[in-house]
Amino acid sequence: MGRLVRAYEVGDEVPPLIKEMTQEAINLFEGSSGELEASQFTDEETARETLGTEGTVASGRMSLSFALELLRRYFGSDVFNHSGTVDLRFLRPVRPGDTITFTGAVTGVSREVNGSRVSVDIKVENQRGDTTGVGQGSAVVPNAFLPQDE
Amino acid sequence: MVEADARILLDWDALEVGETFETYQYLLTQEMIDTYRQGVMDPEASFPTISHKVDVKQYNAKYRDAGSVNARCAFYCYNPPVAGKTITVRAWIADKYLRRGKNYIVTEAVSVDEDGRLIDRVITHELKQPTEVGKKWGG
Repeated sequence: MGRLVRAYEVGDEVPPLIKEMTQEAINLFEGSSGELEASQFTDEETARETLGTEGTVASGRMSLSFALELLRRYFGSDVFNHSGTVDLRFLRPVRPGDTITFTGAVTGVSREVNGSRVSVDIKVENQRGDTTGVGQGSAVVPNAFLPQDE
Repeated sequence: MVEADARILLDWDALEVGETFETYQYLLTQEMIDTYRQGVMDPEASFPTISHKVDVKQYNAKYRDAGSVNARCAFYCYNPPVAGKTITVRAWIADKYLRRGKNYIVTEAVSVDEDGRLIDRVITHELKQPTEVGKKWGG
C-alpha cells in the first residue's frame, strides 16, 4: 500500500464502516482461535442460561475488530498497525441480523517526537439508531506521512 | 464420566489486583488468520490475536464464575502477527471495581512473538454478573 500523505484537523470525519452481522460471521470469529465450545455467542441455549437473552449476541471483540478496521482504513495500515489504539465501551448488544455503522471524527491533533498523535471519537449505531458502542481511538502519524508544512 | 471442574470458584473480594497468570503460548496459523478475516469480513484484518481472547484465557483456566459480559475493551497495535510464529502471552489482573452494585474485573495482556516482536496489548473490563445485562437488554 502506498504512503498516505494527508493533513488532519479537528472535526474531520472518518468515512463510515458498515457491517452486517450474521451468525455465520460470529461462528467464524469465535472458531478462529480453535475454540469450538458452545458459548453465549454461538449457542442460543447457552446465551439463555448465561445472559438470559432469547438469542445469541456478538462478542464485543468483534466490534473492537471493526473499530480497528475503521481507523486502519482512515490512517492507512502502515501507520495504524504500528501505533493505533482503540478503547471501546459496549453499551448494547449486537445480534445476528443487525446492521451496525461505525463513524468517527477527529477530536485532537498533538505533536509527538516523531509525528502527530491524531485522536478520534468513535460511535457505533445499529439499524434502529441505537448506540451500541462508543469510544476513542488514535494513531501516531509519522512526519513522513504528513504534508511538509505540518 | 464427567470430569470434575478443578478450577477455583471466583471470590471477587479476595481476587488480588496484580495477580499474574501463567504464561500462555500458542502457534498462530494461517488458517486462524484466514478464518478470523472471514469472521470480521475484512481481508486485511491484521490482528487475529483479538479472537483468541488471550487476556481472559488464563483467568478462565484458573477461575470459574457465572460467566461475563465484555463492558469495555482497549487495544494497542504494535506489529501485526505473522503466521507460523509462536505467540507468548503474559496476562494479569489489572484492576477490579464495583459500579452500580455490579462487580467488574479488568484483565490486561501483552503478546510477543518468538522473535521478540511486540504484537499488541489488550485491556478488557468484564462484568461478572452477566444476567444483569440480559435483563437490561430485554431478552
